[in-house]
Amino acid sequence: MAKILAVDDSASMRGMVAFTLRGAGHEVTEAENGQLALDAARGNAFELVLADVNMPVMDGIAMVRQLRALDAYKGVPILMLTTESHTEKKMEGKAAGATGWLVKPFDPEQLLATVKRVLG
Amino acid sequence: MGAVDLTQFHKTFFEESLEGLDAMEAALLALDSGSTDHELVHTIFRAAHSIKGGAATFGFAEVAAFTHVAESLLEEVRSERRGVDGELIDLLLRSVDCLRAMLDHTSHGLPAADADSEALRGELVRLVSGEAAPAPAAATPAAASVDGWAIRFVALPHLLQTGNDPLRLFRELQQLGQLDVCRAFVVDAAPTQLAELDPGQCWLGWELRLHGAVARADVAAVFDWVEGDCELTIEPIAAASVAPVAPVAVAPTLVAPPVAAPAAPVASPAPASAPRPVRETAAASSEGSSIRVGIDKVDALINMMGELVITQSMLSDIGEHFHLSQLERLREGLLQLERNTRELQESVMRIRMLPIGSVFNRFPRLVRDLERKLGKQVKLELHGEHTELDKTVLEKIGDPLVHLVRNAIDHGLESPEQRRAAGKNETGTLRLDAYHEGGNIVVQISDDGAGLNRAAIVAKAEQRGLIRPGQEVDDAEVAELIFQPGFSTAAQATDLSGRGVGMDVVRRNVRDLGGSVGVRSQSGKGSVFTIALPLTLAIIDGLVTAVGEERYIVPLISIVESLRLRPEMVRKIAGGGEVFHFRNEYLPIMRLHRAFGCNAAITEIERGIVVVVEEEGRRVGLLVDDLLGQQQAVVKSLEAHYQRVQGISGATILSDGSVALIVDVCGVVRLGQRGKAAA
Amino acid sequence: MGGKRAAKNKQPPAAADGAAVVCLPADCRLAVQMALKEQLQQVLQHGDIVIDAQALERVDTAALQLLVLLRRELEHNGGALAWRGTNEVLHEAAALLGLEQSLNLPTATSA
Repeated sequence: MAKILAVDDSASMRGMVAFTLRGAGHEVTEAENGQLALDAARGNAFELVLADVNMPVMDGIAMVRQLRALDAYKGVPILMLTTESHTEKKMEGKAAGATGWLVKPFDPEQLLATVKRVLG
Repeated sequence: MGAVDLTQFHKTFFEESLEGLDAMEAALLALDSGSTDHELVHTIFRAAHSIKGGAATFGFAEVAAFTHVAESLLEEVRSERRGVDGELIDLLLRSVDCLRAMLDHTSHGLPAADADSEALRGELVRLVSGEAAPAPAAATPAAASVDGWAIRFVALPHLLQTGNDPLRLFRELQQLGQLDVCRAFVVDAAPTQLAELDPGQCWLGWELRLHGAVARADVAAVFDWVEGDCELTIEPIAAASVAPVAPVAVAPTLVAPPVAAPAAPVASPAPASAPRPVRETAAASSEGSSIRVGIDKVDALINMMGELVITQSMLSDIGEHFHLSQLERLREGLLQLERNTRELQESVMRIRMLPIGSVFNRFPRLVRDLERKLGKQVKLELHGEHTELDKTVLEKIGDPLVHLVRNAIDHGLESPEQRRAAGKNETGTLRLDAYHEGGNIVVQISDDGAGLNRAAIVAKAEQRGLIRPGQEVDDAEVAELIFQPGFSTAAQATDLSGRGVGMDVVRRNVRDLGGSVGVRSQSGKGSVFTIALPLTLAIIDGLVTAVGEERYIVPLISIVESLRLRPEMVRKIAGGGEVFHFRNEYLPIMRLHRAFGCNAAITEIERGIVVVVEEEGRRVGLLVDDLLGQQQAVVKSLEAHYQRVQGISGATILSDGSVALIVDVCGVVRLGQRGKAAA
Repeated sequence: MGGKRAAKNKQPPAAADGAAVVCLPADCRLAVQMALKEQLQQVLQHGDIVIDAQALERVDTAALQLLVLLRRELEHNGGALAWRGTNEVLHEAAALLGLEQSLNLPTATSA
């Protein structure tokens, strides 16, 4: 199963995502902001990154931009966890290099379906 | 797919949401005081956004609905479509309060929304310009049962750089119906030489046919993430048989004749392991106080443990082949063990320590509300927010502090007019300080207001019978009067209590924490209330004393002096009390053996030792048999193990394993004073 | 990444007929395409090129596109692209993208 990086400043959301994915057999690393996620990404070969948009220190958009600048993350799927009210954020995320998004709120089944969609 | 139990995350959600609301409130107050830092708006927005996302995810619909409207409003602020004024901040602060209540209700399994929250939500909705009804799902022509779809998909060069891969898209299409790749081509603009190629750019295009009764929306959904990264047309198959208008000319070179992709089912990996049962972890969500500990503190603990293990192995090494010549090494080892133990103890205690800032953070809001209510202008200064206090102390010090802050604004600080008349700045200053002093944490609440009103306090004390009419009282005694029970009356205990009202309660609360509170005041210049608190409730420095066969521990912090009395220093007074002369005053003697009923104790005062203790300016002498030495005592609650005992604050275990009781100096002094008053 | 190393370390050994052989790494996706491209450029003037896909486990559109463009330039120069060790991973991806002919892949699932 895949190595996945879950990035969210909300411990409950991050916990829910990580717990759900681990339950499906994935290996999940958690980070609570974009900066910590970048640090984690440099030392690991994650196959998928799930990231919140609004985070302190470094938000999801800036994180995507920096991740994409790393050779190892050029083609790795990065999904933004976003709310429906922010279509412009979706586009901003895409422009930064995000692969797609998962609209909050989502339940574990939706999360797993989306992850399966990306990882094949 | 077994349902994943999310209740285990509820507690975290409530905790972080309340923290988010605190941050939101602080940022709102900063905005209110004129800050234009745009990051504040982001902070406020982020908090609302997270709460909304979490609430929706964990199924707290009412909280989500409320936050949704607040978030929409905040989005307008964030995108600078709406300015910030006092009215908006008021509304948002009320929303913060409302959300706190809703979260509280939700966490107790009660309905979150009530008439108030609905009314407030209505206000928010009205304010949000053109709050659109939730957009209906994109209108799609009813799932036309066509034969299928002709799809023309040409990647734009940057497509791959978004992590989207046509392979994945096509696999998804395969799951909808039978997919034929009619044609794959390299677009004209592609570099003709490898040397010029950036392999991260995509120069391919496809003509596909998807057969089957598939809704157009489902086909479009496959491509939703690559909107803007490709040219895409999706047409019903019949219509597409006409040559499509090609926006990009195709390179004739590698045009392959339509090849039917082998409909080999892509073996999707079987869902790995069945989802693990999650029920057993659900119990973890039950209530229970938890504490967040900085990783540095945990690291310090682990370091200490490491050193302890080294010492232990060194000692057991000595123990295994012990020879008297190693006595010095043994002694060194024991010293090291002592040091390790002490450091470990300190590290463990630090885990319970939290910064007082979490309590201080309540005050900007409180001060703002009081300013408005009372028509005063107050500048609040906070200092020493990082000073750490025991968690239990921290939880209980909030109310006394709130009381003192209210008092300072209500009665300490004057109105702008009065201040102007007195030649002061119209804006009064209220300052909160926290710092270490000795083994204590000191918290000070200072104002530059009018100071205690001596005449009014004396008059009131006379009226209440606390002092005799015409009795001389010095400034210190005046200050003490306001802490006396009975100084205030319930009739005056309004929403904003008058100075003096409830001060006795403040003192009692602080005492319960093992601390003390006092006030210094200067007429026309202001007042300073000082609270001294122990670093922790769990450990005290004590003097071990012997009383008969028992051991009593007197907290070191209360001890003024210990002395042996000569018979002529003691005087018997009417009513059987005994006093002795000490630094220009007579102090009552409290015979501990009598107070606690100890057998075989020394009863002649001159053969025992008198320990002078002080609490809030009052002193008594405790008669004990002997002083055995100083020791740190880990306080065990008697209430928890037995019951509350007058004059005893707890128990501890001595190094020889016996139990010693800890003297509650406050209680004992009160008993002693009563004896003196009766005298 | 292991894939990157594999792509760099293999010197192009000559096949029996004198063609240069380039081995695809196990993970032959976007992250290693720049390295693979440089390797291919080195042997481009060689004439014929044999791609060894025996180790291939993961492949993406970027990789297949690179090979399609390689073949195009190679044939323009009068060379040819041949395969050995093709496996199911390669065939599945190429078929799905409709690139089997463009890549001159043998029809059998394994060589």
